Amino acid sequence: MKSSYRGVILLALILFASIVCTQYTVNMYFAQRYMEVLLLSGATVVLFPLAWMVFRKDQRDRREQGK
Amino acid sequence: MENEKTRPIPLKDDNYTHNINRSNERSLDRRSFMKTMVGAAGLFAASTLPWGALAAKELMGSSSKTFPAQKIANLSDIKPGDAIEFNYPGEHDSALFVYVKEKEYKAYQNACTHLRCPVFWDRDEKELLCPCHHGKFDIATGKPLAGPPRRPLPEIVLQEKDGAVYAVGVKRYEEQL
Repeated sequence: MKSSYRGVILLALILFASIVCTQYTVNMYFAQRYMEVLLLSGATVVLFPLAWMVFRKDQRDRREQGK
Repeated sequence: MENEKTRPIPLKDDNYTHNINRSNERSLDRRSFMKTMVGAAGLFAASTLPWGALAAKELMGSSSKTFPAQKIANLSDIKPGDAIEFNYPGEHDSALFVYVKEKEYKAYQNACTHLRCPVFWDRDEKELLCPCHHGKFDIATGKPLAGPPRRPLPEIVLQEKDGAVYAVGVKRYEEQL
């Protein structure tokens, strides 16, 4: 696979994970399983800088390739 | 009179709606698409924070959480098969008391666990029915029997004293699952 698609696919996966975690956060809150809520919301928060890093790395790689 | 050549924006482009001339200016390029995805991830991250804060608050205060006793009805005033709507534990938490049969009564918070529609007592079928999407709950346990809901209704702990029924607490989901 060409590196040009890697960033997009990684970001799509991260966004998918964010959506799933957000959905479960709300579900677990209404199920009164509060520890899981904390873990899931923490995971969603961690996914954001990860997405940002993937984006930055992708842009840097493309600049180096002269695209 | 303004000269057409010295105008900062040519007259033909000086409008709000038809001034885009560059090709692909409106299409989403790769960089913008990725930025949008990062932004969406940030939005989801921010949206979970209030839930996390609420959960942390519940975790810190749950050990000391007690519910006041609240009288629902005198048993002499109601007949088997009757249902009474009341608010417990808060004044905005709707609940349903059902006098199933002699010496047997149950109470649940009556917001359907699917989309929080009010749940009614179906006297003929002996089930709790959510009319929005035909969710049904078991009166004995509060567990969902049919329809979209997947979680049981939170049960309200009842106590009989001096011929009257009192609500004294709400069971947590873990106790029911």
